[in-house]
Amino acid sequence: MAKIRRRGQTGQAKNYVTRSQAVKKLQISLPDFRKLCIWKGIYPREPRNKRKVTKSVTASTTFYYTKDIQYLLHEPLLAKFREQKVLEKKISKALGRGDNSDAARWERNAARPEATGKPRYTLNHVIRERYPTFIDAVRDLDDCLSMLFLFANLPSTSAVPAKMIARCERLCLEFQHYLIVSNNLRKSFLSIKGIYYQANIQGEDVLWLVPYKFNQRIVGDVDFRIMGTFVEFYMTLLSFVNYRLFTSIGIKYPPKFDQLKDEQGAELGAFSLEGVNIATDGDEMKAITNGESQHGPDPKVQAAVDKIVKQLKADNAKGEKSTEVAEAADEEEGEQASDSIDKFEPVAPGGDVLPQPTQGSGNVSQLFDKFTVYLSRETPRQPLEFLLRAFGCRRIGWDSVLGEGSFTADESDPSITHQIVDRPVVQAVNGTEDNGEDNQTSQKIAQNQRYPGRIYVQPQWVWDCVNNEELESPELYAPGAGLPPHLSPFVKTANGQYDPTLPLDAQETEAEALDSKMEDDAENANDEEQEQSDEDVANDMDVDSANDDESEVSEVDAEEFGGVSDDDVEEDEEEAAILQRQREVEAELSGKSVKSKSADAKTKSKLEQKKVLEKKAREEAEDLERAKGMLSKKKRKLFEQMQYSNKKKSTEDTMLRAKRRKLEKEQKKARATLA
Amino acid sequence: MAPTLPEKKRKAREPEPESDDEFANVVFDGVLSQSGDEFDDLSDEEDKEDDDDDESGNEGSESDEEEEDALLSDDIPSDVDGEEEIRKLLKNVEIEIDEPGVDPKREEEDPDKNYTVETDANGNERYVYEEIDPVYDSDDSDAQGPVNTIGDIPLSFYDTYPHIGYDINGKKIMRPAAGDALQNLLDSIEIPKGWTGLTDVNTGNPLNLTQEELELVRRVQMGLSTDDLHDPYPEMVEYFTSKEEKMPLSAAPEPKRRFLPSKHEAKQVMKLVRAIREGRILPYKPPEEREREEQEKEEVHFDLWQNEEAQEPNPMHIPAPKLPPPGYDMSYNPPAEYLPSKEEREAWEALDPEEREKDYLPQKYGALRKVPAWDTLVNDRFERCMDLYLAPRVRKNRLNIDPNSLLPKLPSPSELKPFPTVAQTIFRGHDGRVRSVAIDPTGLAVASGGDDGTVRVWELLTGRQVWSVKLSSDEAVNAVRWRPSKDSFILAAATGEDIFLMVPTFASVTPTLDQASRDMLSAGFGYATSGQKQAAPAGKEPPAKWARPGTKLEDEGVLIRITVRSTVKVISWHRRGDHFTTVSPSGQRSSVAIHTLSKHLTQIPFRKLSGLAQTAAFHPSRPLFFVATQRTIRCYDLQKLELIKVIQPGAKWISSFDIHPGGDNLIAGSYDKRLLWHDLDLSNRPYKTMRFHGEAIRTVRFHKGGLPLFADASDDGTLQIFHGKVPSDQLENPTIVPVKILKGHKVVSKLGVLDMDWHPKEPWCVSAGADGTIRLWM
Repeated sequence: MAKIRRRGQTGQAKNYVTRSQAVKKLQISLPDFRKLCIWKGIYPREPRNKRKVTKSVTASTTFYYTKDIQYLLHEPLLAKFREQKVLEKKISKALGRGDNSDAARWERNAARPEATGKPRYTLNHVIRERYPTFIDAVRDLDDCLSMLFLFANLPSTSAVPAKMIARCERLCLEFQHYLIVSNNLRKSFLSIKGIYYQANIQGEDVLWLVPYKFNQRIVGDVDFRIMGTFVEFYMTLLSFVNYRLFTSIGIKYPPKFDQLKDEQGAELGAFSLEGVNIATDGDEMKAITNGESQHGPDPKVQAAVDKIVKQLKADNAKGEKSTEVAEAADEEEGEQASDSIDKFEPVAPGGDVLPQPTQGSGNVSQLFDKFTVYLSRETPRQPLEFLLRAFGCRRIGWDSVLGEGSFTADESDPSITHQIVDRPVVQAVNGTEDNGEDNQTSQKIAQNQRYPGRIYVQPQWVWDCVNNEELESPELYAPGAGLPPHLSPFVKTANGQYDPTLPLDAQETEAEALDSKMEDDAENANDEEQEQSDEDVANDMDVDSANDDESEVSEVDAEEFGGVSDDDVEEDEEEAAILQRQREVEAELSGKSVKSKSADAKTKSKLEQKKVLEKKAREEAEDLERAKGMLSKKKRKLFEQMQYSNKKKSTEDTMLRAKRRKLEKEQKKARATLA
Repeated sequence: MAPTLPEKKRKAREPEPESDDEFANVVFDGVLSQSGDEFDDLSDEEDKEDDDDDESGNEGSESDEEEEDALLSDDIPSDVDGEEEIRKLLKNVEIEIDEPGVDPKREEEDPDKNYTVETDANGNERYVYEEIDPVYDSDDSDAQGPVNTIGDIPLSFYDTYPHIGYDINGKKIMRPAAGDALQNLLDSIEIPKGWTGLTDVNTGNPLNLTQEELELVRRVQMGLSTDDLHDPYPEMVEYFTSKEEKMPLSAAPEPKRRFLPSKHEAKQVMKLVRAIREGRILPYKPPEEREREEQEKEEVHFDLWQNEEAQEPNPMHIPAPKLPPPGYDMSYNPPAEYLPSKEEREAWEALDPEEREKDYLPQKYGALRKVPAWDTLVNDRFERCMDLYLAPRVRKNRLNIDPNSLLPKLPSPSELKPFPTVAQTIFRGHDGRVRSVAIDPTGLAVASGGDDGTVRVWELLTGRQVWSVKLSSDEAVNAVRWRPSKDSFILAAATGEDIFLMVPTFASVTPTLDQASRDMLSAGFGYATSGQKQAAPAGKEPPAKWARPGTKLEDEGVLIRITVRSTVKVISWHRRGDHFTTVSPSGQRSSVAIHTLSKHLTQIPFRKLSGLAQTAAFHPSRPLFFVATQRTIRCYDLQKLELIKVIQPGAKWISSFDIHPGGDNLIAGSYDKRLLWHDLDLSNRPYKTMRFHGEAIRTVRFHKGGLPLFADASDDGTLQIFHGKVPSDQLENPTIVPVKILKGHKVVSKLGVLDMDWHPKEPWCVSAGADGTIRLWM
């Protein structure tokens, strides 16, 4: 006799457990379970058939793999949680009894991470488990960085202890230091949500979001305990990643942190990096600090000296010179033995051509090398400083309002080559200084306090230079100028997708192009007519209104051309006929008859082209229909799904193109009217 | 001090006060001398008071003086003789209380009295104090008084002398005043009981206090508890006797363990030692230092991935998908075309936040300084966190392929041509449905049979009816088929249980051809008579009767009538034209019959058939025979007489099938709307299933003249033409392309096109419809 099989004892039912079962099995509280899941990276699974999995009558929503939960059973953290629970119990009991001294003693042992920002356990082993290799960790760094950068900018509350924030900030700054030294930052993007950065660490692209420096508003239900659990994990992760990154480029970790400078708002400048071995020490220092403060080994002394240095410009200049010499030496060395990839040229013909990574990151990393940049006080200092440093700029000055650690706080410093401003231009009495050349020689503009011999740009210039990997012309970014659009460097345009960088003609479909041309023609005709009629003495209101009507009709036409059906064509023909008739009538009214014919001929040829196109489209559609008929049902569905998403994309693209066409037309018109 | 006080009071009356520890180191000289005087000047009140004042001044503290003044002036306004005693008493108490404070004050007042300043050997100042003269008759408790040196002789010896002996200096020790005298004096003064010497302020009478009240006053003054019962110094109760017993109660010898180190203690100590070694017990440190140390300890930095080794990722683990990178429309300064129009904005705002496709609207800020903080950044992050740990992850195989690659590579339309596209000719004449249609091997004529019981022959191109015969008045002609060879012009038609073989005669048929056909048909009669003679003795009813149909029909050209046991639905000729098979689905055992024309012989090949036979056909080149039952098509070898394979199209009810002229492929149509292509070499399952018809498929047919075409006819009134190319290469799969749907036939009582046939050479076909027409498509 076959064994009786009960429901819920074999198959899927054994593979899954509900959340409450899991909690029961682990004998921990739900918050602890949540923590454990977050740290160990265990997430719910979706069973194929929920009904087969549930043993109870009520529908459970969250299922975990039984194996996952078994794996959690061996977790050392579980023991820690239990210890903590026991301790808490002891304390509460002692307090109940009135043994205050005991309670105080135990309280000292109890972890109060929400108050102190540090627990009694470490997550090292969890990180090693989750990321067996370093590159695994780097791959998962996106969320980590976004989270820590966000927390570094949060106000401290009871849920977010100040220590945690400070630690986040420190880790983030250390990471930024690594990027600055290693020149691994690739792209950055100013979005409405914040600033995106992309770095390439050991071949992995890491993308993260840094909020703008404002007080973050916290709306709605945000459970900071959950976020805190994540942050705890991420902090540990980033500290290990930082260690590895720093040591990989030969810098000691942790870098020296100057509390005093940090309190003065030096941020990046509060750290001083040291090489692991003394020989490279000097070089490393040079790479990070400002030109003036690089020779001082002791930051405190340096801070004192800085004040004096600032007063004495001569010293300043000297310091710079010496750095330049050092840099030159560096560059020479780089040429002699570079780590860069060599170019392989085929010697004999016949071999395959292998794709090679493009050389260029070396040059890009020194994009702002030669510049001394001054940040006006209305610009966001932190991102600009980071970005400029990461792309080779060594001398960045800013207003003392923006914090400590600047190369110079004096705006009138003659060594400044670029100044980044973000304030509206107050028009001088007799000045039109939209022009870049004017900018540089604009001594007459007193209100804006322009210094001669320096280039004034808006902050976007830095970002666009970085993303395009070349120095953009600063005229476009002059203060007060209408900025060119800031484009995301992360978009990879697929074939046929709308690309705002290309001209419209290059990407619109034939039908669209034809449409737009016809519209143009119609409008031109309108204009011409209008002009003529303006000239005409017998100009009437009737004519104008007729013209208006006509243009409306043509617009309607244009819309209908979008369709592909046979009926449309016929209608089009009819419409064309009507149009022609109307034109004739108008011509009669306005007393001219020659022009309409030529225009008609033109439109006729266009219409014919259009018809041909439509026919082609129809044939293609028919072919597609036939081919689809040959697919199996499954494949057909798949195909239709694909078509659906593609179609959605293409409609979006056509909308964008249409909008752009309209805009361009408006611009043209505006220009024409101006001229 | 408190316990001694009552005694003190008593002693104040006595001449010699008892010594007390408290006063041991205090110099009392002034006081004592004064007390001596007091006894003398008892009577002199004013003097006494002045003296008192002086004394107190001499003794020091001004505060004492004031207090005393206050006391004297307030409490004792008028002096009575006897009251001196009480004042004395009170005063003594005062003095005794304030004694400790006396010393420094006195030194201040007369600094030069008790020392002289000299210069010593070094020339420094030196204070030389006077010798203190211990007055032996003082009541100093410490000084034992003058030590009498008279030795061990009775004092009575000195009774007659004023002195009682000699002191250590040889001076006479005078006899002290006899106690009796003083006592007598005191006794002589009678004090009323409870007399205080004070006056009641309210009544003016002398205030009498009882002893208890006096005690109370004293206690209050001393700052003691007013309760007499409270004993601040109870007698000690010893827990253990302080006396050592000479004889202990137990005589047991002291156990050894008393002399050995304790194991338990050793254990405890070891426990502590271990804890200290392991760092569980730490030396005490102030909290700040501890905190700092902890912080240092926490920031332990090391390379976590020092000896990393790549692990195979768990196949069940699905890494969290990354967030998509921002697009152009998320820029703070996007291209103008990305900005939403007013309608788009309104539509977006009208939507529920959860239903929105994007959680942001593109927005343009002219300058970086105008960009505000993103409102929901924390929420976004939180959502992401929730997704990371709470969202079930499912691996979805995103096909990252071009959808067009899914589409089969179809031959270009020019390659597909020619195929029939339009209805060229419509043949009208049949009354009722046309059941069957066939084009003759020469391609000139079309034969058709219908519900009206007639068989008609039409000229193909013109549509003109050239020949017709009525075979039956009540039964329909179910099938008409031409003999597939050009040397004859023979048509087979089935009505009911009869099969007629006929030679239509009309203008285009040459007399020689006509004659050859007639000869071919009649040739069998001779053979049949002899053959049947042999078969008759078997005693069985022959499967079919071959006979002449009668003169009337014979005149029309119908030459042979074969009668079988049940209604014949299908006729199918062998390629050589000598055999043909008929199928009568209702015929049970004898449903399939094979007829031999030259011998006028009918055979029933199957004793038993699983399922109802639907149709049957000969293989175009090899000696194989196919029979279709409802579900399967069976293939038999006619030479070996065995079943070769069973083809399972998977259809529920096969209506018809046809074999590709090449012989390796087969198409089958079914009543459940399916058209199935079988590659016979590949599998017995269909290679392609086509379901393009809305109704049952009645007929399927390959083009036999070398064109890669096949078609099916369906009850939905359409014919579908397919391009079906069988490649010469065995490895390639046949390409099947639907090319045309021929519409034209009307659907009459749910029946559309009942039969169709291809032209032997041209890409033309004819179809027989339930609407009574035959159409030629070309």
